[in-house]
Amino acid sequence: MRNKLFSLCFVIIMILSVSLTGCGSGNGNQAATATDKPADTAGNTGGDNAGTTTEPAAGGAADISGTITFLTNRTDMIGKEYDEYVKRFNEKYPNIKVEFEASQTDYNQQAKVRMASGELPDVMFIPTIPNSDLPKYFAPLDDLGLNDQITFKDFKSYEGKLYGITTGNSTSGIVYNKKAFAEAGITEIPKTWDEFLAAAQKLKDKGIIPLASNFKDKWPLNNWVYDMPRIIEGKADFPNDKLNTDTPFTMDNGYGKALSLLRELNEKGFLEKDINSTNWEQSKKDIAAGKFAMYYLGNWVINQVIGAGTTEDNVGFFPLPYDNSGTPAAALSPDFFYAVAKDSKNVDAAKAFVKWMIEESGYEDFAGFISPLKGKESNLAQLKDFQATGVVLQEGTPDDAAVTDISNKAQIDLPAIAQEFVLAKDPQAVLDKWNKAWAKSKKDLGK
Amino acid sequence: MFGTLSYNKQKTIIIVSFLLIPLILLGTFTYYPAIKLVYYSFTNWDGYSPEKPWVGLANYREVFSNPDIFKVFTHNFAYFVMGILQNIVAIYFAVVLNSKLRGKNAFRILLFLPYIMNGVAVAFMFGYVFDTTNGSLNLFLNSIGLTGLGQTSWLGTETLVNYSLASTGFWRFMGYNMVIYIASLQAIPRDIYEAAKIDGAGSMQTLWRITLPNMKPVIQLNLFLTVTGALEVFDLPFVLTKGGPAGASQTYVQRVVDTAFAFNNYGLASAMSIILLFFVVAVLLIQQLVLSRGGDK
Repeated sequence: MRNKLFSLCFVIIMILSVSLTGCGSGNGNQAATATDKPADTAGNTGGDNAGTTTEPAAGGAADISGTITFLTNRTDMIGKEYDEYVKRFNEKYPNIKVEFEASQTDYNQQAKVRMASGELPDVMFIPTIPNSDLPKYFAPLDDLGLNDQITFKDFKSYEGKLYGITTGNSTSGIVYNKKAFAEAGITEIPKTWDEFLAAAQKLKDKGIIPLASNFKDKWPLNNWVYDMPRIIEGKADFPNDKLNTDTPFTMDNGYGKALSLLRELNEKGFLEKDINSTNWEQSKKDIAAGKFAMYYLGNWVINQVIGAGTTEDNVGFFPLPYDNSGTPAAALSPDFFYAVAKDSKNVDAAKAFVKWMIEESGYEDFAGFISPLKGKESNLAQLKDFQATGVVLQEGTPDDAAVTDISNKAQIDLPAIAQEFVLAKDPQAVLDKWNKAWAKSKKDLGK
Repeated sequence: MFGTLSYNKQKTIIIVSFLLIPLILLGTFTYYPAIKLVYYSFTNWDGYSPEKPWVGLANYREVFSNPDIFKVFTHNFAYFVMGILQNIVAIYFAVVLNSKLRGKNAFRILLFLPYIMNGVAVAFMFGYVFDTTNGSLNLFLNSIGLTGLGQTSWLGTETLVNYSLASTGFWRFMGYNMVIYIASLQAIPRDIYEAAKIDGAGSMQTLWRITLPNMKPVIQLNLFLTVTGALEVFDLPFVLTKGGPAGASQTYVQRVVDTAFAFNNYGLASAMSIILLFFVVAVLLIQQLVLSRGGDK
């Protein structure tokens, strides 16, 4: 009897403590909001297209030897594509042994811990650290002979030395359903804003919703506010220009113009019927089925649209013509950056591997990226079409820490401003409001 | 093993050992974070760097000097209105389902079920209900001929969005309130009703003069839950609208979360949380004052 009483009490205590601890976890999943945006850049497009490059092996390639470790976030490629890469790599550098280490969950976090403990793998990606810290951990890569070919050369450089090379780049543009375009009688991709509006009108007349904005979810507007303004201004550093002014958002600068384009599309009824009630997952299926015609998003979405139920040749990609000049331009943004650890025992071998990965692996095609090398044509059909328009790809610049500080202090969230701008009766008032917030925070922080 | 100890000592050991675990859990997961929160509210910590610079009352000053921050409380008004309505309906159902009614247990379960469901799942589900073009609500309205009403953007109209969201809360918590009311109804002695019946009281009179006064403490409790719930609502707008359209459904807690995790201003967010705590206490004191004015005779 006593025993029974005891176990009963014990159970009650356990239940109470469980429910107590349960109380604390109410709002912890802010970070886990389901936007499968950057994580899914992976594609199943097959990566063996670049395997045929039969470049004569550089002199002395066989002399470099040693074992190197590569810490990678692409755990899905270990034992598959990576094995194939190493096989091809060893044809050129027979004496280098490459080992892969899979990163657990958070690459950035893990890399930082390894940096703190001083046990870095030979080849890795650069985590988010200030560029001034780069020389402490990484070896300069200037002697690879790639300096005049690579994109984003200054992104991870410090005091004139290059420490990181991008693994691949992304761009943003119009991803569209070719059948939907054909059905609406659009034979050529629009090259000016007016042509774009005309095409949208044709789609609308056919009962196809021209552009899926996914307005409600906010993040699908990122390209409108992070890419478009600097493209319109023709100035990669435009987002950091905010630092020199008290009125960063005006109708006649990049921000105002980019947001006005979105507003115009909405006013003309070229977006979803109710932009405050959109559904991201459903929109992918609708694009694939041709109920929606276009997305303005990064090239990562191409594979997701194909995966949502259409064939690869039905999906096209072209730069959004933001004005009537007819000269296409689009923003280029880097993914992870390769780096070689300064204290690696086999720096030469590591460098040779990085160079090979960039020039010959074909990783960018597998991952659905644009090549890190300037002007190199993509093997992916959509990206090839995109590049064939003669588009000028504008490389971005890193955000100035001061701009980030002021924006955070003023609680400026550009996609949210875009939403307000499009919905407001008086868009100028929205810009004025945020200019005021910007100016105040700038003053408060003394910048 | 403890048989040699005196009865009092045994009692102490039992009490201490039983209380130890819950108290440790309470301390580590409730009071320790709360104290930390107070501490952070006096710093301008960004949420990740090792140093936490002390700024005194600057965060509090900033909150009170920014009218925008308190403006979001107007959005909570819809939740109050719906909360009051929810309690009235709950009392109605409690009274109905406390009488002799065939299948009353089934009805009780049906009404209580939504409360068991996970809040985020409910929010997600109602995303499909409120969808403008494909949502079941608009499809229903269209099918019964209310085509004008069937075009409504339930979550996209600034004046409507908070009520749409609050009605989801109504659906979810009404059953919970009802169960509490039923329990309190069953605690009212039968003989009072019999005496009233003999004196010739009608059913409305019984409800007004006997049932409601006897339920007063429970009504107070439920109002307390409703008020705090309305002030602290977070999951519904977070999942369904992300505060949209253009911030029209943003709630205070959502703003706190954004301040802390999107804008890396942990200190300010902590100060905002502390202010919310005092706000809740103040509102409750007022409520107590108003409701207990009738006096407990």
